[in-house]
Amino acid sequence: MIGWFASLSFAAPLTLLALAALPAIWLLLRVTPPAPRHLVFPPLKLFAHLQPRRETPARTPWWLTALRLLLAACVILAVAGPVWNPRAGDDAAGQASAPLALVIDSGAASAHDWARRIDLASRLAQAAGRAGAPIALFATAEAPAPQAPETAAAISRRLGALAPQAFAPDRLAWRDHIRAWLQAHPGARVVWISDGVELAGKPTSRQFASDLTDASGGRLIIYGDAPAAALALAGVVNGADGLEARIIRPAGAALGPAQGVARALDMRGLPLGEGAFSLASGEVETQARINLPIEMRNRAARIDIVGQQTAQAVTLLDRRNQRRRVGLVTGVTSDLAQPLLSPTWYVDRALAPTAEIREPRMGASAAIGALIDEQASVIILADVGGLEPAMRQRLEAWVRAGGVLVRFAGPRLAAAAGPDGGSAAGGAAHDPRDRLLPVRLRGDGRNLGGALSWETPKTLAPFNREGPFAGIDAPEEITVRRQLLAEPDGDLPGRTWASLADGTPVVTARRDGEGLLVLFHVTADPSWSSLPMSGAFVQMLQRIVAMAPDTTALERPAGEKAGQNAGQDAGQNTEEAGEDAPALARPAALPPRRILDGFGLWRDPPATARGVAADFAGRASLAHPAGFYGPVAAGRAVNVLETGDALAAIDFSGFEARSLSARTARELRDPLLLLALGLFLADCLATLLLGGGLWRRRLGKTAALTALALAAGLWTAASPGPARAQGMLNTPQYQLPDSWRPPGQAPAPTPRARPPAKPPSPPRTPVNGFTARDLDAAMETRLAYVITGDAQVDAVSRAGLIGLGEALAQRTSFEPAEPAGVNPSTDELAFYPVLYWPVVAGRPAPDAAALRKLDSYMKGGGLVIFDTRDAMTARPGVTTPEGAQLQRMLRTLDLPALEPAPQDHVLGKAFYLLDNFPGRYSRGQTWVEALPRRANGERVPARGGDGVTPVIITSNDWAAAWAVDASGLPMLPLTTDGHDSEERQRELALRVGVNVVIHALTGNYKADQVHLPALLRRLGQ
Amino acid sequence: MARVRAQAVSVAGVLAPGTPGDAAARGAVERARDLAGRLPRIVLEARRVAASVAGVHGRRRAGVGENFWQFRPYVPGESAARIDWRRSGRDDRLHVRQREWEAAQTVWLWVNLSSSMGFRSSLAMDSKAGRALTLGLGLAGALAEAGERVGLLGAGQTSGGSTALERLAGACALQLRETGADQPDLPPEVSVARAAAVVLVSDFLNPPHMLAARIRALAHQGARGHLALIADPVEETFPFSGQIMLETTDGAARLRIGDASGWGEGYRAALARHRAELAEIAARWGWSLTLHRTDRPASEAALRLLSLMGAPVTSRADDSRARGSGA
Repeated sequence: MIGWFASLSFAAPLTLLALAALPAIWLLLRVTPPAPRHLVFPPLKLFAHLQPRRETPARTPWWLTALRLLLAACVILAVAGPVWNPRAGDDAAGQASAPLALVIDSGAASAHDWARRIDLASRLAQAAGRAGAPIALFATAEAPAPQAPETAAAISRRLGALAPQAFAPDRLAWRDHIRAWLQAHPGARVVWISDGVELAGKPTSRQFASDLTDASGGRLIIYGDAPAAALALAGVVNGADGLEARIIRPAGAALGPAQGVARALDMRGLPLGEGAFSLASGEVETQARINLPIEMRNRAARIDIVGQQTAQAVTLLDRRNQRRRVGLVTGVTSDLAQPLLSPTWYVDRALAPTAEIREPRMGASAAIGALIDEQASVIILADVGGLEPAMRQRLEAWVRAGGVLVRFAGPRLAAAAGPDGGSAAGGAAHDPRDRLLPVRLRGDGRNLGGALSWETPKTLAPFNREGPFAGIDAPEEITVRRQLLAEPDGDLPGRTWASLADGTPVVTARRDGEGLLVLFHVTADPSWSSLPMSGAFVQMLQRIVAMAPDTTALERPAGEKAGQNAGQDAGQNTEEAGEDAPALARPAALPPRRILDGFGLWRDPPATARGVAADFAGRASLAHPAGFYGPVAAGRAVNVLETGDALAAIDFSGFEARSLSARTARELRDPLLLLALGLFLADCLATLLLGGGLWRRRLGKTAALTALALAAGLWTAASPGPARAQGMLNTPQYQLPDSWRPPGQAPAPTPRARPPAKPPSPPRTPVNGFTARDLDAAMETRLAYVITGDAQVDAVSRAGLIGLGEALAQRTSFEPAEPAGVNPSTDELAFYPVLYWPVVAGRPAPDAAALRKLDSYMKGGGLVIFDTRDAMTARPGVTTPEGAQLQRMLRTLDLPALEPAPQDHVLGKAFYLLDNFPGRYSRGQTWVEALPRRANGERVPARGGDGVTPVIITSNDWAAAWAVDASGLPMLPLTTDGHDSEERQRELALRVGVNVVIHALTGNYKADQVHLPALLRRLGQ
Repeated sequence: MARVRAQAVSVAGVLAPGTPGDAAARGAVERARDLAGRLPRIVLEARRVAASVAGVHGRRRAGVGENFWQFRPYVPGESAARIDWRRSGRDDRLHVRQREWEAAQTVWLWVNLSSSMGFRSSLAMDSKAGRALTLGLGLAGALAEAGERVGLLGAGQTSGGSTALERLAGACALQLRETGADQPDLPPEVSVARAAAVVLVSDFLNPPHMLAARIRALAHQGARGHLALIADPVEETFPFSGQIMLETTDGAARLRIGDASGWGEGYRAALARHRAELAEIAARWGWSLTLHRTDRPASEAALRLLSLMGAPVTSRADDSRARGSGA
């Protein structure tokens, strides 16, 4: 509480004496009651003599008194000019006129309270600017450059644009520039807004501070305290079962307990997993384990601490942290046409999910060389017998440096391991104890269960509990028919990782230097055993690969050792040459790809960022800010902190250091005055209410109305609801059906009055996969036609369906909405009961998507009317262009058998009784789905299938007969065949349309109706 | 006429509800016009009231009048001049044409339109003056329909027939246009014909002895009367509490009350005493007193007043017929 008051000061403290007057104000307020309510009361003229018997003393309500006292106190306090945290202003007041060198740390460690730093810097700059002092800004994470004195406004602009960078600033690089500026401005003072953190073991900050002190003649003020809440990530290890992130805090700061969550994200920023950590009070380092399967671990590109908005709390992972690189080499000529026979097929399939497989397509020795160059951590030799001696030596050196060599047996290895084979390989000084084999092999293997063997194929023994394969299930069905045998000697049991049921080793291994030699005594393909086809094989290989070191661990040492080894071997000139010229082998610098800013967010690479060498190792710096460099596949990650780094709080003892946290001076006068104003308004309102004058006076009413309107206006402004609602109201354009309109009158909706572009309105933003058009279509039942692309045909289709819709609305209870033009390949068809498809010759056939949709539409109960419109031109035996087009369209559709609509088809009975189905023409045939054969002797007036006929094919151009123009009159003349008048035929055509739609909507209902008398008779009994 | 005009002024003040009394004179003309504009509506409402109570007050019998009533056979000894020869020519008997008895009673109406009548609380359906006009005009309309002659007390003229209501309203409107000073809230001292009826519609916020003097003057002239007391519900109940400042409508009196609920008890007791005195005055002269609150429909009071007026009229009509037949 005392500290609370200590941070409050007053510009005019004497004014506070007025607070002593508050009791007097209280007394005054207490005895001054509010004005009484005025009431007009006519009977008073008769009863004015009735004096009040008991006059209760009118008293101001206590809360009103309190309100007014508070108001008075607020005013007094505001006049006294209170300032919260006044010390920030002291600097400005004290030596504001001296030139100011503003040194601000803008590295990653400053990011977590960046806004406060900038705020402090701006206020210092403004204070100096008011005093007219020249100011210079030195941001330590920028490129060091001489600074010119600037005005406060310019400094403020620069501060606004300044952002923390993703590396620890090199302050010493700025020393000379600051010193030069201080010399140019004698009497200048220096303010260093420090991030308070440095790398442990590199205490340069005190040096920097003392340099500044010297240069400024002791006028140095340091703002900064080690940010206790800021955590950093220093090193992430891709461990055996999870990512282990090392979380550090600056030592030396006052550290309370902390806990948090470290999070792994992939390259696209999607979170993969999390691991919690906690730090005890004073603890500076802990581990967070993110348990993830290896596949997910390999995808992790970024580890960060949730809630820490700094680049320090981000560790980027590159391939060094990721999957092991596995090289595959086979001695067999790989036959790409038969991959299943390739010895590497099963290994490749087993390891591909968790490791990066490299399989150079070249000779075995060359391939091994390439793999060592590619820094593979595991090399698998599938049945590779002899190697070039040079390569053998290099491989041995690689293994000793930590590489894991996995070999599979095979005829070649058997041949090479045997005494004869050794000489056959051409190795002059070949040691029968092949140094690249974990055990000595006997020259010949054994066959089990073959035609000439009595023995049956052997199965695997359970894996040794202590061995690396512990826990893997050894399935019974794994059989080994042939294997290479090891020479039995003393250390064979120790090198056996897996054995057969009879104890014969089947997997042996040996440590060699840092590395590991593993031998599978069977082939990598299923020719010797069924092991490669089992799940155990996958797990075994994964265990082995997991034992391999990081790729990075192999880079330098492998090369060095290889070089040493090569040096020992006189014959290895080529290898030596390669090692002596590393610059040639080193790839070009990797350009920055994605760079972090100081807050740990992605940004484009700044101009100062330069590429890193492919073997770059180190912390981020000005030239190499933290981020990804180089291509995605083989890039480098540069981090602010390296593995093993520790942070330390800068020791500012001996300097004038101030804490950053309590630096916000705030003038409280304006808020207090605002509060007093609010209290005054509340008091006015309360007085009006108490006096009863508010609601009776017109002024009061107006005020109340105004207040209401104001509140309503605020509410409206605050909520965007109405505006959006209005927008939504505008979108769906419903058309009222014309059923109410008496027949003969002109229809309101006309095809020509509407813009022709409207029906195929482009689908708007899909919502859950449905467009707004779909939503419209689902709201009301409507007929649909297919947009053929022929404007004339489409207009007739549309007008025809409008005309038919009007007839339907007048005659039936179905009132369709405005017809919809659909594109079957893009639009959802499920909303439309009937789809009218005029066939236009010469148009491209519908694509596969359209046909698929059409198929599911018809299977789902939809009715498609194909109208070839060629009844006039069709001649027997001649296929019209439209007919040909229809055949082409329907060729891929799964259509049922069709037949000409029979007389008793339900289509002719659905609403009207119809004998034929005329349209614009009356001669054309109408085809429908073939009905099941009529039962013997059954005589029913109507027949229907088990539902709606999925397709109707006509050539009578129905839409042309239905089409109405703007005034509701028929659009096109009809071609009669002489029997009926044109009007009669048009009426019949409309009836056809009505029947079709009713049939589509009601199915075989009418056909079932014929059984009604029989049903009623049965019910009667 | 001057008195009537004076009443109009008070009406003008009255019908602007809530107007403080001291401002009454200032906008009197304007408010008079306002009331004149409201009159047609009041007339309509009065018509409705009249129609709803019509039929109670009928006097359909033969007597001295102008309208045909019936034919009756000639009684020998009657004056031959009475024979209706046209009717008698149709058959062998002689007929005498009888006329409907028209013994029009004169009803004098007085509506208090002084400033206190302008009060209207939020509980009321109308101001007291508006309700008083509605009730008075409606009553007059119903009476005129029934053949009585009605007039404004003090205006000197009576009228009858279906247009009487409009004439009365027109007279009111005329008064309202010619506004003047505020008027006393007592009925005027005028002479009325013997056996006339007087209907006084007022809130009767007068000292009882003054009212008793006026009523006595009227009663001494042989008039029978009915008092319709219009009261606002607030005046009845006085539902206030806390500190209030009361004032009359004309601003003549003010009273500051610290504890309104306490004062209200005394007020209600005094009001009850006042009502008792009014009832006593009315009973002394055989007049009726009808209490009507403005939160009740006007037809209630109209019905009660009509039934009160109907009973004695009927008995006297029988007398007059007896007299007529005796003549």
